[in-house]
Amino acid sequence: MSSIKMFEKPLGMRDTFPQIYEKLEAVRETGRTLLRTKGYDFIKTPTVEYYDTVGKASAIHDATLFKLVDSQGNTLVLRPDMTTPIARIVTSKLLKEKIPQRLAYFENVFRAQQQEGGRPAEFEQMGIELIGDHSVYADAEVIITAIELLQAYDIRSFKVTIGHAGVLSCILKDYTESEKQAAVLNELLVKRNYVGFEEAVLTFDLPKTKSDALLAFIEEAVSLSSIEAIEKYVRKNDALDYMQKLWKLLAEAGLEKYIAFDFTLSSHMSYYTGMLFEVFAAGSGFPLGNGGRYDGLLEHFGAVVGATGFGLRVDRLLEAMPQQHIKNTTALVLFEPGAFGRALQQASLLRGQNKRVTMQSTVGLVDAEAFKEQFQEVVYCYKQEEEQ
Amino acid sequence: MSELTIAMPKGRIFEEAYEMLLEAGFNLPEEVEMSRKLMIEIPEEKIRFILAKPMDVPVYVEHGVADIGIAGKDVLLEQRRSVHELLDLKISQCYIASAGLPNTTMNEIAPRIATKYPNIAMKYYKGLGEQVEIIELNGSIELAPMIGLADRIVDIVSTGRTLKENGLVEYEHITDVSSRLIANPVSYRMKSDRIQDLVSRLKKRVD
Repeated sequence: MSSIKMFEKPLGMRDTFPQIYEKLEAVRETGRTLLRTKGYDFIKTPTVEYYDTVGKASAIHDATLFKLVDSQGNTLVLRPDMTTPIARIVTSKLLKEKIPQRLAYFENVFRAQQQEGGRPAEFEQMGIELIGDHSVYADAEVIITAIELLQAYDIRSFKVTIGHAGVLSCILKDYTESEKQAAVLNELLVKRNYVGFEEAVLTFDLPKTKSDALLAFIEEAVSLSSIEAIEKYVRKNDALDYMQKLWKLLAEAGLEKYIAFDFTLSSHMSYYTGMLFEVFAAGSGFPLGNGGRYDGLLEHFGAVVGATGFGLRVDRLLEAMPQQHIKNTTALVLFEPGAFGRALQQASLLRGQNKRVTMQSTVGLVDAEAFKEQFQEVVYCYKQEEEQ
Repeated sequence: MSELTIAMPKGRIFEEAYEMLLEAGFNLPEEVEMSRKLMIEIPEEKIRFILAKPMDVPVYVEHGVADIGIAGKDVLLEQRRSVHELLDLKISQCYIASAGLPNTTMNEIAPRIATKYPNIAMKYYKGLGEQVEIIELNGSIELAPMIGLADRIVDIVSTGRTLKENGLVEYEHITDVSSRLIANPVSYRMKSDRIQDLVSRLKKRVD
């Protein structure tokens, strides 16, 4: 270990400089306005939670949790996501007041970073949770809201891919000979290892009809533009009906062109029981966010109600958003000693015109010319005889 | 048609993969001048090749600066990055094995394994219920057992000649390795038409 230098920050931690700060605020403002008009209430939870409650229940891998110990010896975590704390708060309190709950958040979350740079260990996440509604309309609302958010940010080129844990598990069960085989295939899909999937299917020694069906499924089901294409692989069941209904609702909202189905979509967390989706946009190398139905998580906290939602990563959103221009004009009121009173008047006049006004005395400046260059307008206030 | 950036390892794999693309009907120049260039533009097909170290290909693809890439399964297993593994190109086929001096057993207290694949080696011995100490080397791994640095090595074997010439024998076959076509998760969605087309055309050449 080399010693820590004075300028260093822990791996993955970043400073937010004024330019980025303004962009973040703009993102927050736009998101907040949209989500509030859709009836979502914003909520904040503690930065630190117990490992045994939120830490264990979270979908985030244990190794990436920031852990601390309190004075009683309990393990604490810096919140790795917002869905789990919201599940805690909703099941213990809010559901008694109103059901369903529509909650929104814009908060920083923490993921420890051990290997290498290029990924932040702390970043803002924005999202919604719709809790207490198990219907397909809730899932449709969540997907539509995600799309509306991206549109509000002027992101043109994006895609939402939707899958369903129930449809996938039905297919894997029907075309394999044992639960173990289905589990192996599911694991490979979580890792997006399509080559491994094909290899595994061939080593299982399945009847030819079954293995052919699985191989055709993996080739086709990754990207479907409509729901009909999957019907030949799966016998009629509730999950498929559900997806057909969801598709109809999204079509009614006129959003078909943003949607693709991927029935190989699978999550490492077992509490994603139903529909799940991912959001991609050109401009960022990583997915913008994901969401889905997580009734299982609420059950973990002791409430049997429906829950669905999504979260977007604000850092990646910034990468995918078109450049924005800062609207306010910047002005500098430069004053000599003795002209302070007039400088104050001048500044408030300019601020009244919605300009960003900096007041600066000439005696406090080292290089006046260089400083002046940073402003669009400069106003001088000279010392006048009568003021002395 | 969108621009497609392909990260490729320099050297033999590039040549073989390039040959496959030609056979698959891509309009590429017959000969590419390799020299010291790190980027090759093919405006006719809107393709750009990035030439990288084999270990770095998944890095470019994971961060999305390359849409797709060609990487050895050994590198994918070692780094476990979040990329989609689309196709086994079945080129540069070899395998990872453990090897050591003939007729030796591993030290019972603290068996030492020299390798440039610490994650693969650790996972393999864990799976056997064996706790080992990994010594990471960057090359000439075969030296380690000969000079008493390690009981076993875990390394790539293609013909087995290097092992033989250094007086080592193979003990366990760990996993098969070949070059894979990988994709960035976002590119895979946003440029799905181009990538699917490439996969299906290459797939015909492979089978």
